Amino acid sequence: MWLRPLAKKGPFWGSDPNSRMKLVIERAALLKSLGHVQSVVERRNTIPILSNVRIDAHKGSLALNATDMDIEIVESTAAEVGKGGATTAPAHTLYDIVRKLPDGSQVELVATGDGGQIALSAGRSKFTLSCLPVEDFPAMAGGDFSHSFKLGAADLRGLIDRTRFAISTEETRYYLNGIYLHGTKSEGVDVLRAVATDGHRLARVELPLPDGAAGMPGIIVPRKAVLEVRKLIDETEDEIAISLSDSKIKFAFDNVVLTSKLIDGTFPDYERVIPTGNDKVLEADRKLLHDAVDRVSAISSEKSRSIKIACEKGLLTLSASSPEAGSATEEIEASYAAGHLEIGFNSRYLLEILGQIEGDAARFTMADAASPTVIRDVADASAVYVLMPMRV
Amino acid sequence: MPIRLLPPNLVNQIAAGEVVERPASAVKELVENAIDAGATRIDITLNDGGRALIVVTDNGCGMTPQELTVAVDRHATSKLPSDDLTEIGWLGFRGEALPAIGSVARLSITSRTPDADAGWHMMVAGGRKDGPVPAPHPRGTRIEVRDLFFATPARLKFLKGAGTELSYAIDNVERLAMAYPEIAFTLTADGRSRLNLPAGGTQGDLFDIHLERLSAILGREFAANSVPVAAEREGIRLYGYAGLPTFNRGNAFAQYLFVNGRPVRDRVLTGAVRAAYADFLAASRHPYVVLFLEVPRTDVDVNVHPAKAEVRFRDASLVRGLIIGALRHALAEAGHRASTTTGAAALAALRPYLNTAPPQGALDMAYTMQAPMVDGTGEGLAESAPVSMYDLPQSAPEGAAPEAYPTDGAVQPLGVARAQLHETYIVAQTADGIVIVDQHAAHERLVYERMKAALADGGVKRQMLLIPEVVELDEASAQRLVGRAAELAELGLLVEAFGPGAIAVREVPAMLGDGDVSGLVRDLANDLSAVDEALSLKDRLADVSGTMACHGAIRAGRRLNGAEMNALLRQMESTPHAGQCNHGRPTYVELKLKDIERLFGRR
Repeated sequence: MWLRPLAKKGPFWGSDPNSRMKLVIERAALLKSLGHVQSVVERRNTIPILSNVRIDAHKGSLALNATDMDIEIVESTAAEVGKGGATTAPAHTLYDIVRKLPDGSQVELVATGDGGQIALSAGRSKFTLSCLPVEDFPAMAGGDFSHSFKLGAADLRGLIDRTRFAISTEETRYYLNGIYLHGTKSEGVDVLRAVATDGHRLARVELPLPDGAAGMPGIIVPRKAVLEVRKLIDETEDEIAISLSDSKIKFAFDNVVLTSKLIDGTFPDYERVIPTGNDKVLEADRKLLHDAVDRVSAISSEKSRSIKIACEKGLLTLSASSPEAGSATEEIEASYAAGHLEIGFNSRYLLEILGQIEGDAARFTMADAASPTVIRDVADASAVYVLMPMRV
Repeated sequence: MPIRLLPPNLVNQIAAGEVVERPASAVKELVENAIDAGATRIDITLNDGGRALIVVTDNGCGMTPQELTVAVDRHATSKLPSDDLTEIGWLGFRGEALPAIGSVARLSITSRTPDADAGWHMMVAGGRKDGPVPAPHPRGTRIEVRDLFFATPARLKFLKGAGTELSYAIDNVERLAMAYPEIAFTLTADGRSRLNLPAGGTQGDLFDIHLERLSAILGREFAANSVPVAAEREGIRLYGYAGLPTFNRGNAFAQYLFVNGRPVRDRVLTGAVRAAYADFLAASRHPYVVLFLEVPRTDVDVNVHPAKAEVRFRDASLVRGLIIGALRHALAEAGHRASTTTGAAALAALRPYLNTAPPQGALDMAYTMQAPMVDGTGEGLAESAPVSMYDLPQSAPEGAAPEAYPTDGAVQPLGVARAQLHETYIVAQTADGIVIVDQHAAHERLVYERMKAALADGGVKRQMLLIPEVVELDEASAQRLVGRAAELAELGLLVEAFGPGAIAVREVPAMLGDGDVSGLVRDLANDLSAVDEALSLKDRLADVSGTMACHGAIRAGRRLNGAEMNALLRQMESTPHAGQCNHGRPTYVELKLKDIERLFGRR
């Protein structure tokens, strides 16, 4: 990163004997890092220090650190450090200020007094924020990671994107509030599997097992960590270094390190609910089916938005009805050769699953109207979705 | 110490511990005896809350001297003619009351049968009998109980203050008086008359004399704000009165339930009442209900509680269904009626300038009626400018006299919309007054009723679970839930037994989404054990419907034109239960013209 020479030099620089930390950084760089770390800070906190971001200046680099005690993000970026030191400042306020500063400005951060305050100045704007002692800032306990491996950013994005919609938000079943990550064998090949379910539907995505992941424990990565990681890796093309133990997981790439605790629970034996004997196979154009479901479901006024699919040879009839709004039907062509079947689904669930499929065609394998239906991308065997029908 | 048979007096004192718990229970036993004796007039006198003196005088069939001596013995009764406990046709049957009272108090009985020349007098004190001796007495029986519990000082210590004990006694007498409107009751306490209930008229049907008696006891508002209930199914007859949902109160004390003329507190009955009103009242509000159930004697067991406050039905679900059905039907008949107390409360709110007292009880009984808010400047009225947007065909041109209420067409109880105030309240003119409608509350109710009808029509859609949820419960709760599985399935919850102390949930109502299933199941188990009704599930479905209804309803602050306002009024008239919102608050207030005139001193 190119830094303009500091405009203000001379007597002011380092003249205050009490100052502990002093640095200058370009606004865009600070904003980017702050933006990453502040999102983990909760809006409302009962522990004041958790509202703060830890600012650590050391030898030409600035490290920002925020945590909610479950997830910790550390990001470092280059800065012109006049004097090393550390303090903590309110994360959301700081982010808000930096966001509103004019583009291209140089931001100077100076800890004043005995660390009780931090002065921020850029151009003619000056702010003073009160700080909390850096010693109080909770550090995520170190501990060893038993397994380390690398995943391509695109692979990790695919893993998360295709499973996270099925994560349960119901907190009494906390062990479903995350993605279950584990190594296993699938048709003789070692794979890394991600599974999420809310008890109504299930998503299972797998990748070839990366080096170093063999023998890793099955872990449940909590929803918030999943969402944070997904945000952070949105732009990167680097490989992501993942380290894990049975209580923690660490994602490291670029200058960012995210460490999260894991959900301490047992993920249900999901393999049992993925049927293997379903014999009624339906293949339909993904987009055609998605749009038809979307249209037909517009009629159901209730929250459940149920739709019915009647499968005949070569033809699907989608229908929905609501005593208030009326009814809707739409026919689409599909390849289906088994006997007549009528099955109901929650259209929202169905749309979410169809939304994950990237190929042109979706394959449904069904047994009957009361058993789980398996949905796959015809062109991609790495993902399996299971959806429980509705009684309509 | 070796095991021994207790002396009879001790046995009676132990029995008295169950039967005569406090003065009120002695009063209840004696009044029940008087009713069983066929009295048409019963006078009760109490001193010091009944501790010092209880006198019950009736004009019933009386007792012969022979009967008198036996009557004070344990298990002596005239009310079980056939030695068959399933044939209990009287209020009493155990023959325990008199000996029990006699064992703990100074009891004196004077009685004369109609065909005897003179009465006889008998005394029992602390279990010792004395008499009978001849004594002058009119036809009937007079029983005096002095110094109750003098023989059991421990019990005496546990009594509450005289005022409290008296109120218990009055409550017991009132309950009996409700069931027997053809009998005159008086109650005098420490020289002051506390109850004076003349016998109901001999003419007029049963409903009339009952209602007369009920309004004498519960207040005039009850008569004005209740609807008759009547139903019959498989030999079980139910009649009585159901209070309008808007006429409610904060506790369940005003729920009177009678089985074959016997006041009872039964959880099947209270659960049924709660279930019937669940749609109309917030959980913390309770309706006024008086219900009389006539059940064939063989279908009900009254011998389950020493004070006979509880009964067992042979077919409890039939009784529950009958009560819920009849109450719902009666409330649906009431349609959009809101209680008159809301109107009275509104008037009371307007009246402080006149310095007149609000109608008795109206203020505290109407549920937190809010007087319409008018901001101090009065700008609100000017802003809303209802007249300018008033394009009703029947509206009068400005300056002209308002058009008379259309009398030719169909009856429109809610009248014709005249204006909208503060974009929140619709003012309508009716034949004999005005109606103010809370547009959001009213429309919310309409939408809710529509959704409910749709739900009942199409059934609750069920989402099957990929991973069945197993909920651990105690064995009894699990059994209760499984026993009601069919009913729960109708509400969208499919459960089945999963070993002795657990149930598996296989399907859940789709509208509840990804909710806390085990919490719901536990709540249901509690409901079933407490009130025998799956209230939680209905509550949650109603909650979701209610929230959706709220979102689907027009808001306060939305400007309505005349046609829209009238359409809302007409829908309210044709929709059942449109008189209250989902929490029992009124959706409209009606002010009669004569009340308004009174406000201005014209009457």
